Amino acid sequence: MDWLTHVPLFNTLSLETREKIARAALLRHFQPGESILIEGEAGQGAYFILEGEVRVFRLSVEGREQVLATLKPGASFNTVGPLLDGQPHPASARAITETRLAALRSADYLDLLRTCPDFSFVILREFAGRLAHLTGLVENLALHSVRGRMAKFLLAQADGEALHRRWTQDEIAEHLGSVRDVIGRTLREFVDAGYIRREGHRIVLVDREGLEREAQY
Amino acid sequence: MKTSLLPEIDLDRCNGCGDCVTACAEGALAIDNTAAHGPMVVFAHPEACIYCTTCEAYCTRGAIRCAFEIVWDDEADQ
Repeated sequence: MDWLTHVPLFNTLSLETREKIARAALLRHFQPGESILIEGEAGQGAYFILEGEVRVFRLSVEGREQVLATLKPGASFNTVGPLLDGQPHPASARAITETRLAALRSADYLDLLRTCPDFSFVILREFAGRLAHLTGLVENLALHSVRGRMAKFLLAQADGEALHRRWTQDEIAEHLGSVRDVIGRTLREFVDAGYIRREGHRIVLVDREGLEREAQY
Repeated sequence: MKTSLLPEIDLDRCNGCGDCVTACAEGALAIDNTAAHGPMVVFAHPEACIYCTTCEAYCTRGAIRCAFEIVWDDEADQ
C-alpha cells in the first residue's frame, strides 16, 4: 500500500477507502516513448502516476500532436473515460520518461466512486481543476495568435510560473498547437523586434513590455 | 557571452548517416568511423557550434536534441 503515498489525491482518504484502492489497483511500468492510451481505442480504466512523466495529447487531421497536458507524479488521467460508458479514449497518452502507474479497471473505479464518497469528492475536485485548465487552453488557441501564444509561453517560463525546464522547438510547437517552422520563424521575429536575444542554448528575454503587449493578441 | 551547452546526441539513436554533418554550415560535426558500435556523429569542432538547431531539424531519427533555457536577461529592466 506504500505506493498510495505517491498520489497526494489519496492522502485525505479514509484508511478503508485506501485499502479498497490498494486491493483493486494494478501497478504498471512503461518505458520512455511507450504508448499508454491510444485515442479512439476502447477505454480500460483510470490511471494514477506514481513515478515519471506522461504526455496527454490529441492528433490533428494532419497528424500533428496537440498537447493537452504534461503530467507529473501524483497526477491522474483517463478518470473521465470510465464514466462515459464504453466511449473510446478522447486523447492519447505516452510515457515521456520511465513511468510507473497505478491503474484502476473501469468497473473497480466506478465501484469506488459509487461506494466511497471521499473518493468521489477528490475525483470531482480533480475534474474541476482539469476543466479550468482545458478552458484556458481553448481560450488560448481560439483567441490568441501564434505570436501571442509564444509571448505568453516565454513570459510564463522565464517568470517560473510553469515548471522550469529546457524546451526544444518541436516541444514548444506541440505545446502551443503549432509546428516547428512557425515556432522558429516567430522566435526570429521576436529577436528582430528586440523582445528576446539568442545566446547559444538560452533564449534571453529582454523586453517585458513588448512581450506582454504581444501576449494580448 | 556565458558558456553555452552543445546539442545533445543520443548515441543509441544515431546511425551515422551524416545528414547533420552535411547540414551544419559551421562545420562543427563529423562522422567518427572508428567507434566500436559503427559510425556515429561527434563534435569535431565544438567551438564552431552556434546552436542554430539545423542539425536537430535534419536528423530523421530524433538523435539530436537542441533544448533551450528560457530566462530573463540579468540586466533587463523587469
